[in-house]
Amino acid sequence: MSELHEYGLIGVFDNPEALKAAARHLRRSGFRAVEAYSPYPVEGLDEILHPAPEWRWRLLPLVIFGAAVLAACWGYFIQWWDEALNYPINVGGRPLNSWPAFIVGTVQFTLLVTIAACTFVLLLGCRLPRLYHPIFNADAFGRASVDRFVLCIEARDQGFDPEYLRCIFENHGAEHVAEVPGT
Amino acid sequence: MTVLDLPSEAPVPVVAPGVTMRSLSEEVGEPNLRPKTPLWWWISFGFSLSLLLVLVVAVIWTLDKSVGAWGINIPVAWGLAIVDYVWWIAAASGATFLSSMFYLTRSPWRTATHRIADAVAIACSASAGIMPIMHLGRQGLFYWLFPYSNVMGVWPQVRSPLWWDFISLLCYIIAATFYFYVGLLPDLATMRDLARDRRQQLFYGVLALGWRGSSQDWAYFRFVYLIMAAVMAPMVVVVHGVVGLDFAGGLTPGWHSTQFPPYFFFGALLFGFALVIMLTILIRAAYGLDDILTEYHLNAMAKVVLVASLLLAYAYLWEGFGAIYGSDIAERTMFLNRISGLYASCYWAKIALNVIIPQLLWFPGFRRSQLLLFAISLGIAVGSWLDPYVVIVQSLHRNYMPSEWGNYYPTFWDWALFAGSIGLALTLFLLMLRLLPIVSIAQLRRIVKSAGAP
Repeated sequence: MSELHEYGLIGVFDNPEALKAAARHLRRSGFRAVEAYSPYPVEGLDEILHPAPEWRWRLLPLVIFGAAVLAACWGYFIQWWDEALNYPINVGGRPLNSWPAFIVGTVQFTLLVTIAACTFVLLLGCRLPRLYHPIFNADAFGRASVDRFVLCIEARDQGFDPEYLRCIFENHGAEHVAEVPGT
Repeated sequence: MTVLDLPSEAPVPVVAPGVTMRSLSEEVGEPNLRPKTPLWWWISFGFSLSLLLVLVVAVIWTLDKSVGAWGINIPVAWGLAIVDYVWWIAAASGATFLSSMFYLTRSPWRTATHRIADAVAIACSASAGIMPIMHLGRQGLFYWLFPYSNVMGVWPQVRSPLWWDFISLLCYIIAATFYFYVGLLPDLATMRDLARDRRQQLFYGVLALGWRGSSQDWAYFRFVYLIMAAVMAPMVVVVHGVVGLDFAGGLTPGWHSTQFPPYFFFGALLFGFALVIMLTILIRAAYGLDDILTEYHLNAMAKVVLVASLLLAYAYLWEGFGAIYGSDIAERTMFLNRISGLYASCYWAKIALNVIIPQLLWFPGFRRSQLLLFAISLGIAVGSWLDPYVVIVQSLHRNYMPSEWGNYYPTFWDWALFAGSIGLALTLFLLMLRLLPIVSIAQLRRIVKSAGAP
């Protein structure tokens, strides 16, 4: 582990089922530093590769909902503070805290903050922007965004053994197996 | 297989049978990646750029002379600028509703057309945004609408529907940009990987932010995109509903009606879909995307146009019924003037273009013929402009007291601003068309896959 000459080993598959089978096999054999790259979301793949942190998917909706609630409070507060405390104007004898009139601004601001929160959750969750990643060194990676399904096992995994892994990939019908040079 | 599974094949193929994941990416990416820009693009771009110059001149002229350059006066104090504003924001809201609502319903035809709709929404909301600012009279002070701490100690009056309009539009434009960009991210990565030279690689690579399409990326993407679609759909209903509230909040006869928010939203739905249909027809012809933007898409969108047209017909009927059945003599006089007075031709034209002619779409032949569908959609675009024109100008020119009756004659600068705003939207759209994949490749792959192609 002192120096990494390679980032990992990839297997390129032409259909998602073979990729899922290989991923399942690797997980069962105890490999953990496994990641798959696909042109579209493959049903059930994330559960195979990252089964543990299920709490994340329970927490995230709460995070976004929390952002929405905070935005609603702030959106209402700023209007109430403006109209009732800071710059009170009597319009036709209506109450200074005329809440029905503050709803539109509150709703739109809440929805905007929800959208922004979603965007930031995506960027933080995917660790973006990250313009360079070692997987880009793989010659076949360019096809993972077009029509191929790529499974990568990183060299930092404890049981990393290129010959053995090559066999596993090929047994599951990988059309191409290659080593990914490191940084 | 359980009964809850989606049917693997639609009765009519969503995309042509020969399309594979590779050919899909190449076919959609090719127009963006090829170094030579086609002649039709330069011609359209030159046309739209010259209209944009008209906008620049009209804006400078208006900034110099203020709104006195236009035909507005008392009693008709809202003129073409507000008509254009309602028209543009209708297009943007309707298009975003197509993209967001029909994602939630899992409609397969939405997948290939939503990028066009999102691009339309961005381009049209830019044109919509300049109109109210130009209309302010003292345009340089528009930032007073922001609720920000200032040394004057002055704050906006947030009880006004006009302020609701400002905050809705502002929130919507920012949110629509986020929504557009997140949906684009996986496609930008595809473009980065298909890029042919260093320049393209840098351009798409930086825009893609390093998207890798790992299983985790996709898990986050699906999670986030679903919430975004679920938020955008009610947001645009509020946006155009609030435009309706601007009128419902006024005491002018013909405006003061609770049906305005849904009525305006139905109009937005109709116009947004008509505009996306027109652009889909043009883009599939220009880019030769017949096998991706198939007749299935046009057929489905034409049916939604038909539904929106019927909803709008309901609002029109209720408008007449409320005025005639109600006891308010001013409302009744106003409505009778609307259907028989000076602006009767505009009123009946909008009824014909928005409600009567779209009924032809009940016949499959009209939904199948691209030429007729395009003509009907173009008619709807005109009708959707006449709709706010009648509501605004005709209502204002017959207020309560006969002594405050008067006419409105748009000047050259009114029309210049309108033509120029078309130039702005068109320029933005053409730039997006040239630089970004106009069909959502990543989302369409699932459909290509389920259609059984390798």
